[in-house]
Amino acid sequence: MNLLRSEWLKLWTTRTTWVMLGIGLLGEALFAGLYSGLASLGEVERELGEAGIATGVGLLMVLMLVLGVLIVTTEFRHGTSSSTFLASPKRYPALLAKLAAALLVGLLAGLAFVAVNGGLSLPLISGRGGDLPASSDLVSVYAGVVVSFALLSAFGYGVGAIVRNQVGAIIAAIAFFFILSPLPELLPGSIGEYFPAQALGSLHGHQEGDGVLNQVTGGLVLTAWATALVAIGTLLICRRDVAD
Amino acid sequence: MPQLEVQNLTKRYGKTVAVDDLSFAVEAGRVTGFLGPNGAGKTTTMRALLGLLRPSSGEALVEGSSPVEMRDPLRTIGAALEATAFHPGRSGRNHLRTLAAAAGIPRSRVEEVLGMVELSGAADRRVKGYSLGMRQRLALAAALLGEPRILILDEPANGLDPQGMRWLRDLLRDQAAGGRTVLVSSHLLSEVAQTADELVMIRDGKLVAQTTLAEFTAGGANLIRVRASKLEELAAGLGEQGASIERDGQEALLIGGVGGEQIGELALARGIAIHELAPQQSSLEERFFELMGEEEEGS
Repeated sequence: MNLLRSEWLKLWTTRTTWVMLGIGLLGEALFAGLYSGLASLGEVERELGEAGIATGVGLLMVLMLVLGVLIVTTEFRHGTSSSTFLASPKRYPALLAKLAAALLVGLLAGLAFVAVNGGLSLPLISGRGGDLPASSDLVSVYAGVVVSFALLSAFGYGVGAIVRNQVGAIIAAIAFFFILSPLPELLPGSIGEYFPAQALGSLHGHQEGDGVLNQVTGGLVLTAWATALVAIGTLLICRRDVAD
Repeated sequence: MPQLEVQNLTKRYGKTVAVDDLSFAVEAGRVTGFLGPNGAGKTTTMRALLGLLRPSSGEALVEGSSPVEMRDPLRTIGAALEATAFHPGRSGRNHLRTLAAAAGIPRSRVEEVLGMVELSGAADRRVKGYSLGMRQRLALAAALLGEPRILILDEPANGLDPQGMRWLRDLLRDQAAGGRTVLVSSHLLSEVAQTADELVMIRDGKLVAQTTLAEFTAGGANLIRVRASKLEELAAGLGEQGASIERDGQEALLIGGVGGEQIGELALARGIAIHELAPQQSSLEERFFELMGEEEEGS
């Protein structure tokens, strides 16, 4: 618990976290507000049917991934890893505290996203006389977003722990998620659905169709990816020297 | 039982050997200076003692066991490794708060150590704006946070002004006097000569000498510089008594192997007037450089 408190404090005592969440939520407010308020109603309703309510979720998704990376790599970049591991010489307790902080901040950001998105989109659309999705659909999409933010942050932690170099890890994480994601479509069968970006889509509840994982399976697949990366990264840091 | 001990410690990075079969022990209640030129392996050894790197072979022990096994690490060892290891965007106070939180140390102790290192006034500024001396003091504050039984400080004097140096010396002596163990590294003997009771000197990752400061000081070749009315006659007489004789310029001799009494008695017996009789202590720094080899690497 002490270590988690320490990691939580680290997270909020530099500007990075505030700035990233601020930009993400402001961007979401603009996006959801402008889209739900100004786009043609037919367009909005068509989009609601295909991609769900979570308009503009992509920005915070990327930011969560990057924040997860930063939670680990910042310590190596600035050499504070030494003092962190002096307080936790076995290292894994401090690392698990970091992971917990990454998950928590993801959940928090997810809830904030839901508040902003729901607070703007729902009244705007219904105010213009548009049809809102069924509330069960809303709940499942929003729950998917909250869970996905936490998993993205954990995914970032894993990549950060493996790569350690800050810039390298950010590039690796984003490339893995967003650039390589079309690749599996070239693969035979449904293997592609088990790649992180595709599983994330399923978790968000869109891309419904043949051969697409359902939401829960998508969430489990993404959890499996995050867990594997977290385990490898944590193990590597416990074994490697803390050079500086 | 020594508080800190390295036994046949070896650390290789690829083909480079940073620390080579090094063994020494550090006892409580005194300040141990850990000396060597830059690149001698001091930092590597200290990092091994802190459990931050694993030895290629041999062991580094804290209170007799592996540093990784420490149960209450911040109350066992306080370390100040490098003055740059802070997040530049975090304030000094918040840096200490994160460390205090990790070990369950109360916030009041954060304020206490900030006061000790005289950073209370700058504690809310981001570390980015700190001078090197302020960073050193923040690193020291972090080391002192848990009131540890052992202090490991890597070049803590770097960047300190003369007042800061004196403050540091007093602090280290107080800590040692209170029964704590203090290991402090430096590449300059002068920085630790006024503080250290014990010296561990390494070079190229190997132990050169472990000695008390008193022994090191006394161990110099004690020469006596002599000027006299009949210098040649005196030299001849001292030569008969087995003294070593070197000329020191035109008018003086450097005599070794005999004491001042012998020289005086001989001069009296032969009717020679002594103009100067001055014991020469080779400077500590000279002896240090002799041990460490002529050139000092880097700096």
